[in-house]
Amino acid sequence: MKRNKVFIGIISLLLVSVLALAGCSSKDDANKEKDNGKTTGDQVTVDIFQFKVEIKDQLEALVKVYEDENPNVKINVKTVGGGNDYGATLKTTFSSGEEPAIFNIGGPSDVEEYKDYLVDMSDTESAKIALEGTLDTVTQGEEVLGLPFNQEGYGLIYNKRVFEEAGINPDEIVSFADLEKAVESLDSQKEALGIDAVFALAGKEKWVIGNHLANIFFAPEFNNDPMQAYEATTIAFEKSDELKRHLDLEAKYSVQPVLSLDYSQQVEQLFSLEKVAMIQQGNWVFNSIYDMDPELAENNIGLLPVPVEGYEGKIPAGVPMYWGVNGNKDDAVVQASKDFLDWMYTSEAGKTAVLEEFKFVPAYEGYDAEQISDPLSQTIYEYASEGETIYGWVYPAAPTGWSENVLGAAMQKYLSGDATWEEIIDDSRSKWEVERQ
Amino acid sequence: MRNRSLSFWLFLTPVILSLSIVLIIPFIYGLIYSFTNWNGMVATEFLGLKNYVALFKDQEFLASLWFTTKFALVSVILLNFLGLGLALLVTRKMKTSSFMRTVFFMPNLIGGLILGFIWQFIFINVFGSLGDLLGVEALTGWLSTTATGFWGLVILTSWQMAGYIMVIYIAYLENVPRDLLEASEIDGASSFQRFKNVIFPLVAPAFTVSMFLTLSNSFQIYDQNLSLTDGGPFNSTQMVAMSIVKKAFTENKMAYAQSQAVIFFLIVAGVAITQVYYNKKREVDL
Repeated sequence: MKRNKVFIGIISLLLVSVLALAGCSSKDDANKEKDNGKTTGDQVTVDIFQFKVEIKDQLEALVKVYEDENPNVKINVKTVGGGNDYGATLKTTFSSGEEPAIFNIGGPSDVEEYKDYLVDMSDTESAKIALEGTLDTVTQGEEVLGLPFNQEGYGLIYNKRVFEEAGINPDEIVSFADLEKAVESLDSQKEALGIDAVFALAGKEKWVIGNHLANIFFAPEFNNDPMQAYEATTIAFEKSDELKRHLDLEAKYSVQPVLSLDYSQQVEQLFSLEKVAMIQQGNWVFNSIYDMDPELAENNIGLLPVPVEGYEGKIPAGVPMYWGVNGNKDDAVVQASKDFLDWMYTSEAGKTAVLEEFKFVPAYEGYDAEQISDPLSQTIYEYASEGETIYGWVYPAAPTGWSENVLGAAMQKYLSGDATWEEIIDDSRSKWEVERQ
Repeated sequence: MRNRSLSFWLFLTPVILSLSIVLIIPFIYGLIYSFTNWNGMVATEFLGLKNYVALFKDQEFLASLWFTTKFALVSVILLNFLGLGLALLVTRKMKTSSFMRTVFFMPNLIGGLILGFIWQFIFINVFGSLGDLLGVEALTGWLSTTATGFWGLVILTSWQMAGYIMVIYIAYLENVPRDLLEASEIDGASSFQRFKNVIFPLVAPAFTVSMFLTLSNSFQIYDQNLSLTDGGPFNSTQMVAMSIVKKAFTENKMAYAQSQAVIFFLIVAGVAITQVYYNKKREVDL
């Protein structure tokens, strides 16, 4: 019996030591990686942590080209997708001390949160050629704390064939009355045109109505300046009637029920299969449409601005994300990070990749609009170069989560008929005020 | 238990270690953070009970709590009813019974996230086109109202969990001694009487287990909720777990979400312990 006990004791000791060893070995790995972050000899390692899953492979390919040109720089790209996951994961990397050298930041609230880490990028070439207005939300005094990723813009994407057959000239749609008339005319010819409805409003997606649609109508009261919205203690909703009017129009002539209609139904099932004439979306839907019907995507779609009084014919464009460089790293790493970002947006190889591989709408001057491969992005870049865009993606500057979870949800409630428009506007306003006390 | 030698503790060490690393220590951390203004990176201020006070005034949180309670109530009843029913069905002497056991258990093998998307398709597209075809108004527009969202979730969970609960009931049903059943038969008990007075008391332990499982599960549902309705429309079908995740990761109120989680933990633990206590009382020993 006694012998047995000793034996058991030995075995359990072994078990524990295995566990302890396992713990040690992973620690070693972590240490090694940390060393890599610093300069070892002339070799510089830059860790990129980015959110755009769509460009993961393309970015990695581009990095390889850069590494070949600059043998002393090693770049690791890590991609974590989806808005929420990225923010949470980034936070964990910072609190665990394994922070990346280059990472992505969104609106002003991100800048505020990571302010202590971000370095000034105003000395980079890219910062100088960034389109006017795109740097507003990341500028603090003299310092530019981020470089724009790309531009995105949205409006009403329409089917050119359907418009043509219905005898509607999209260029003539300028004001809300024009749009209403066009919609009614389309609606009356539904059967002849072979469409189920005029619109597909993705009412299930709170971001479609709460972020994008609402943004067009409340941006003007902050002069389309996200920083003003970021500091505002209240929101007046001066254009709330216009917003209601537009939402009603889209909802009334949409495929029903709007509240369970999601993004993939809207873009893939309904628009790509030409079951609806228009959807309110942005240039990012191009690839989805292209996958379903290349012919339609390349030749038969166009982008119309959402009519707003006083801002007719303008497209809301914005920079969804910025590149930030982590100042906690060694100077050499910081410099290498800046160099890489610069190279990506200013060198010929980089520019080509940004346009053709990433399929970005560049947020920088000096790109050839002809090279932009898809018609939606091209429209947006043209509008942007002519100054016909509103750099007013104000919604990221609203209190965190407000536009989607408060306003978006409230608009759903209105659409369901459970609340009146006045109720949801008052409610959303008071929640904004509570957050900004 | 009294014989706690060195090896007793040594054998426990791996478990205690991993439990405390992944469960106990984070729990204590979380508890502490819930009293501060922690934003996920730094906590600069000790707020005391401020988060907890705010939480009881938060309409969104209270609504999700109420929704979850309703959901748990309905699904616990339905799940146990279905589970026991299916178990009774497949413990009969039938040729297909083992095949049917497999079939009923199958949904449980599919992950909740995928199930959610599958059922979303069924509710929206299949129900919708059936409704159009048959002219039944009630079948169209599923998941676009709070009520259909609620029942959608109930149907999905019942479908997924019923087979699992069935297996537990089967185990107990097959352990009911044959002689007792025979004796009751000789005494002239009808099959309903036999079920009510012999089988039912003997499978009471299964009720304890199944009720506990279904109760705690229904309270904590997240993935099905996320993929089926995503809280929509207007966050009215948002369960507590989801509300906490949203507060923490989309609205960035980590400490506040943490205090919600603490309250939620207390509620679930309280309910589950009460339930087990009462169910245990009703069990009979042979």
